[in-house]
Amino acid sequence: MSPPALRIRCARQAMAARSLPFSPLIAARPQKEFEMPTAGPFGAAVKRVEDPRFLVGQTSFVEGMVLPNMLSVAFLRSPYAHAKIRSIDVSKALALPGVVRVLTGEEAIKRCKPIRVEWKESKFEVDFKPCDYPAIAVERTRHVGEIVAAVVAENRYLAEDGVELIEVEWEPLPAVVDPEKALEKGGTLVHEEWGDNVMLHSHIRGGDVEGAFRQADVVVKGRFAMNRHCAAPMEGRAVVANYDAAQNGMTVWTSTQMPHMVRTKIAEALDYPEHRIRVIGPDVGGGFGLKCHIFPEELALSLLTLDVKRPLKWVEDRRENLYGSYHAKDDICYAELAVKNDGTILGLKTKFIGDVGAYTSYPWTPSFEPLQAAMAVPGPYKIHHVHCEALAVATNKTTSSVYRGVGLPAAQYTMEHILDLAAAKIGMDPAEIRRKNIMKSSDFPVTSVTGLYYDSATPLESLDMALEMIKYPEFRKEQEAARKQGKYLGIGISAMIEMTTFGFEYWRAAGLKSVTGYDSAHLRVDPNGGVTLTVGTFNHGQGHPTAYAQLVADGIGCKIEDVTFIQGDTQMTPYGWGTWGSRSAVAGGGAVIKASEKIREKMFRVAANLMEVSAQDLELKDGKVQVKGVPGKSMTIREVAQATVYTADVPDDDEPGLEASYYYKAPTPYANSTHIAVVEVDPETGYTKILRYVVTEDCGRMINPMIVDGQIAGGVAQGIGQAMFEHHQFDESGQILTTSLMDYLIPSCADVPPMQFGHLETPCPISVGGIKGMGEGGAVAPPPAIANAIADALAPLAGWKPIGRLPMSPEVVRRQIA
Amino acid sequence: MKPPAFDYVCARSLDEAIDALGRRPGEAKILAGGQSLTPMLNFRLAHPGMLVDINRIPGIDAIRDDDGGVRIGTLARHRAIEVSDSIRKKFPILTAAAAHVGHLAIRNRGTFGGSIAHADPAAEWPMLALLLDAQIEAKGPQGARTIPAREFFTTFLTTALGDAEILTEVKLPALPAKTGWGFEELSRRPGDFALAAVAAIVTLDGKTIKDARISMGGVGGTPLRAPGAEALLRGKPADAALFEQAGKKAAEESDPSNDVHATADYRRHLVSVLTRRALTSAAEKAAQG
Amino acid sequence: MKKTIQITVNGKSYSRDADTRQVLADFLRDELRLTGTHIGCGTGSCGACTVVLDGRTVKSCCILAADVDGQEITTIEGISTGAQQLHPIQEAFVEFQGLQCGYCTPGMVLSAMQLLKENPNPSEDEIRHGISGNLCRCTGYHFIVKSIQEAAKRLQASK
Repeated sequence: MSPPALRIRCARQAMAARSLPFSPLIAARPQKEFEMPTAGPFGAAVKRVEDPRFLVGQTSFVEGMVLPNMLSVAFLRSPYAHAKIRSIDVSKALALPGVVRVLTGEEAIKRCKPIRVEWKESKFEVDFKPCDYPAIAVERTRHVGEIVAAVVAENRYLAEDGVELIEVEWEPLPAVVDPEKALEKGGTLVHEEWGDNVMLHSHIRGGDVEGAFRQADVVVKGRFAMNRHCAAPMEGRAVVANYDAAQNGMTVWTSTQMPHMVRTKIAEALDYPEHRIRVIGPDVGGGFGLKCHIFPEELALSLLTLDVKRPLKWVEDRRENLYGSYHAKDDICYAELAVKNDGTILGLKTKFIGDVGAYTSYPWTPSFEPLQAAMAVPGPYKIHHVHCEALAVATNKTTSSVYRGVGLPAAQYTMEHILDLAAAKIGMDPAEIRRKNIMKSSDFPVTSVTGLYYDSATPLESLDMALEMIKYPEFRKEQEAARKQGKYLGIGISAMIEMTTFGFEYWRAAGLKSVTGYDSAHLRVDPNGGVTLTVGTFNHGQGHPTAYAQLVADGIGCKIEDVTFIQGDTQMTPYGWGTWGSRSAVAGGGAVIKASEKIREKMFRVAANLMEVSAQDLELKDGKVQVKGVPGKSMTIREVAQATVYTADVPDDDEPGLEASYYYKAPTPYANSTHIAVVEVDPETGYTKILRYVVTEDCGRMINPMIVDGQIAGGVAQGIGQAMFEHHQFDESGQILTTSLMDYLIPSCADVPPMQFGHLETPCPISVGGIKGMGEGGAVAPPPAIANAIADALAPLAGWKPIGRLPMSPEVVRRQIA
Repeated sequence: MKPPAFDYVCARSLDEAIDALGRRPGEAKILAGGQSLTPMLNFRLAHPGMLVDINRIPGIDAIRDDDGGVRIGTLARHRAIEVSDSIRKKFPILTAAAAHVGHLAIRNRGTFGGSIAHADPAAEWPMLALLLDAQIEAKGPQGARTIPAREFFTTFLTTALGDAEILTEVKLPALPAKTGWGFEELSRRPGDFALAAVAAIVTLDGKTIKDARISMGGVGGTPLRAPGAEALLRGKPADAALFEQAGKKAAEESDPSNDVHATADYRRHLVSVLTRRALTSAAEKAAQG
Repeated sequence: MKKTIQITVNGKSYSRDADTRQVLADFLRDELRLTGTHIGCGTGSCGACTVVLDGRTVKSCCILAADVDGQEITTIEGISTGAQQLHPIQEAFVEFQGLQCGYCTPGMVLSAMQLLKENPNPSEDEIRHGISGNLCRCTGYHFIVKSIQEAAKRLQASK
C-alpha cells in the first residue's frame, strides 16, 4: 500500500519585492532597420565575434570528436508503449565481431540510481508524485523509444547491427494514451505506486471567481488543445564519455545546456566523486530546453566507460531525437471567460490538463508545463478573479518536459483566443477589447491575481506600437476590399507578458530544490590587458561570446576583441545553471557586470594610487583610466594591468592580481511583447499563408539589439511550427507515427514570413544593468496570433469560430467552415 | 541510423546490371539517384542483399526529341528535366511540376526513372507518366519490352517490372495541337509529398472539349486516372459548371487514405477542388493556343 | 564490403577504401576529417549535410560514398582559406547575423552559393524557396535572407 502523496499547502505570498525606484519609460522607438550605436558597447548591434569559425566548419560539435581507441554506442529501444520484459538474450549481439559490450537494465540499476525528483514543499499549491526513471529499463518499459539495452562496438554501423541481434521476450501490456482517459478511474496505471495517473495537481485561486461570473453579461467557453511537439534542434543530443585511468577520472562531453548540473547528477547517480568528473559542453547545435536535463544516455555512457575503460561515443540520430528524447507542450485547456458587454473582463476559469508522458524529467519534472500555464494565463490583462487548475497526467508516451516557453504557450493560446471569442460575441473589435483590459506601464509594479510579481512592463504601449506598425485601420479597409474580390485576409493579435530568468526567489517559492536561480562570472585580467571571462551560463547560439564581451568592455573599458570567453567546462568555470528560460542576459549578464565592477574598482584604486589622485576622480574613457576632465592624466588599461598583475604596484592593503568573481542571485523580471499576424486563407482548401508579421518587444535594456531580433525571429519560426506544422501523433496502441523529418514538419524558409520588429526599452528596476530576458517570448505568442487571424479571415463565411486545436493544418482550417 | 550491410555491384552496362539483378532475385535493388532508397536504408526499413549501382552506365540519361514527343533516359536527373528547353516547349506541365519535386539538392541527384520505378503515388512523375500515356521501356533477361503507363503501376510501391528488369527510358508521345495543361498540388510545405495533386490536359475544338485527361496523385495506392470524369468532359463545352461536376466525379474515383498529414475525407475534397482548378487552367491555356 | 574510391575533395585527390554502406557524409567526416558537414536527419529533409558534387548541391546523407568514385566534391571547408579570409557569402552572414548555433550553417551557405550561381539577383521569394531544403531552428530565417541579399550585392559588385 503506497503512502498518499504529500500535500503541503502554504499561503501564497507575493514574492519579495526589491524597493527600487521605478525608472521612467525611455521614449518608445519603433525600429524597422537596425540603428547602429552611437554610445558604448552596451546596447550596440555589434557583429558576433564567434561567427567566422562556424561559417568555415571549424567547430567542436560532439559528432566530430575522435579520441584514440574510441568505440560507438547504439541503443535498443522499446517498440511497445507499455510492456514487461520477460527476458533479454544478448548472446548473438555479443558474438558479432566488432561488438565489445552489451549493457542491460538489470545490471545498470545496480550501479546507477534512477533519475528522480522530489518536490515536497512549495509556496505554490502543489500536489506532486515522484517516480523512478531508470537509465535502462528494468523489467518494464513505459513508452515507445525507452532504452532497453546499450551496445558498444567498433563503430555506429556495427553497434546498430548488434542492436538488431538482441532478442527480447516481450509481454505487451495495455497502454493508456489519451490523457483524459488516463484520468478515469480503473484504467491502466503508468506508475502503479501512484494509485492514479496524476503526477501533479494544483489549484490557483484569486479573488472571488464565482461572484465575478455571476455579474457577467456574457460567458464564453472553449476547449483549446495544443499539439504535442518537440524542440527538434538541428543537432540532436550526443555524448562522449572517457574514463582516463591516469587521472582516475572521467571526462564527459555532452551536447547539453547545463554542464554543471549534468556533472553533479552523474556523480550522484553513479556514486562517483564529483571532483573527478569533468563535463564539457562543446559547441552545441541548439537546445531550446530539450537539452536542459540529465539524460539516461549520459548516465549509461558514463557507467560504460568506467567498465570498458575506453572512450565511448553516442550521437543521437533524428529518429531517436523525435521519440527517445523529450516532447513538449501537450496541454488541453478548458477555459471560461466572463465579460461585460463593454468588454471588461470580470473573471477567468481555466483547467489545464498536461499530458506529460511516462516519466519524470530532471530537474524540472514535466509537471512544470501545466503548472506554469495555470499561473501565467491571465497574462497582461487586469483580471482580479480567477480559478486556474493544473493537472499533469502520465500516459504511455514519450516524456513531455520543457521547451521554449514552458506553459506560457498553452496559457497564451487559451487567453488570446478566448478573448477574441468574447470580442466576437459582444461585437467588439479584438484590438479594442485588448485596449480596454490590458495593463499600461504606470500600472506596474503589480502582483498578478495568480501571485506573480510583475516588476515593470509596457503592454498597452507595445500593443499600440504594433497596431501602428501593422497599420491596423488601413488593414481593415484592405480586408473589406479583398473580401469583395473573394479573397479572405485576416488579422490576429497576441499580447503577452513573459516571465524571464526564473530567478532565485522564484525557485525558493516553488520549493523545487533541483534548480537554483543564480549564475556566475569570473574575470581575470592578464598583464597585457587581455581579459579571460569564464561563466556558469552556457551559450549554444545566443551570442554570449559577443554580448558578454560587450558588457566587459563597457565595465572595464577594454575592447570587445580583448576578451577571451570560456564556458561549459566544469573544470574551468564557476558553478552555474546553464542557459534556458530566458535567463542568461539577466543572470549571466548581471554576474558579468558585477564582476566587471569589482575589476574596475580595483583598477581605479591602483591607478589612483599610482597617479596620486582619489579614486572618485577617475573615469573610464576611450580605453583609459582617466582623471575626470583632465585628458592628459591617464593610464591605459594595459598599464594598470601591468601594474596590478605583473609588477604588483598596488596599494598596501590590496593584493596583487586583477581578478574577480560574482555569483548573482538573479531576480525574475517580466518582459512583454505584442505579435500581430496578417494571413490569407484559401477557404476551399484551408491553405493559409502568413503575409505579414509584426513583433514589438520590451525586454528592458538590450545588450545587443541584433541578437534580440535574432532571438525573436527564431522564436517566431518555432511558434509558427507549433501553430501550423509540427505534431507528434500516436495510434491507439501508443505507437508513435512521427519518427522522421518527413512526418514531423519543421518550417522551412518558405513557410516563415518576413518580419518587422519594434522595440521599447523599459530599464528593469530589479536587475543589474536594467536587463530583462526575452529568448522564449517569440515562440509563445504566434499560435493565437495566427489562430485569431484565421478565425478573423473566415468570419464572413461561418461566423467567428474558435479553432480548438493545433496545428492548424489546411484540413483543420477547412473544417472551420465545412 | 546507419544502413545495414549489403553487397554492392557497380554496373558498367545495362546487361551487367540485369545479370547482377538476376543473380539475386527479390534481394537486389537498383541504386540510381538513391533519394528514396538511401533514407530507407538509413532507417533500416530496407535490407537489400545487394545494391546494383547504375550511375556509371553511359547513355541512359539523355533527354531527346522523338517524333514530336520526347524520350527521357532513366538516369535523367529531376533538375535536368526542370531546365530542359525541349521539355518546356513540348511538355510544360513537367517543367511546372518539377519545381515541386523535393528541393534543389534532391533534384540534382534523384532520377526520373528512379521516381517512376519507385512508384510513390504522391510523387509527381508517376502521375504525369500516367496522364501523358507514357510508354515505359524496360530491359531484362528476356530482352526489351514496352509497358504502357496504364499497366505499369500495379499496387502500392509496386510496378509491372520483373525482379531483374530495369526501366531504361520513358517515351512521352506528342500532344495534339490546342492542348493546354493544368497542374495543381497541395502539400504542407514546398517540396513535401502531395496531400493531393491533380494534373489535367484539355484539347479543344473551338469551345468544345475534344479530349481531356485527368490524373491524381496522393489519393490512392498508385497514381490514378479519372476515366469517369474524363468521359463527362469529352464533347462538351468548356465551362465552370462542367469543371465543377468533373471535379466531384474525380473525387469519387479517388481512393485516398488517412495518414499523419491529412484524412481520406479531406483528400477527397481536395481532389474535387484541384481538379476543377486544373481543368480551368488547362482550358484557358488550350484556348490561348 | 569495401570499394576503393578515387575522389577529389576541395581540390585535393584521395584514394580510399570505403565501406560500401557508408554514406558520403560519414565518409567525409570520419575518413577525411572534414567535420564541417553535419548530419541532421538521415532522410534528405534538413540539408545540414549539403555538399557540392560535380558542381551541384546534393544531400550527402542520402548518397553512398562508394557511389561518388571519380567525382569532385566541395565541402564548406573548400570555399575559403579559413576563418580569417572568408568568401563574400560568409562575410555577409557575419555582417547580418545569418547564424546562431551554426549547425545548419555550412549547408545553408553552400545552398546559398548554388542559388546565387544560378540566379545572381533573386527576389526575396526566390531566396525563400531556393533555400527551403535547408532547415534552421535558431534564426527563423530572417537574417539568413538578409545575409543572402547582401551576399548577392557583394558578388555582383565584385564582377
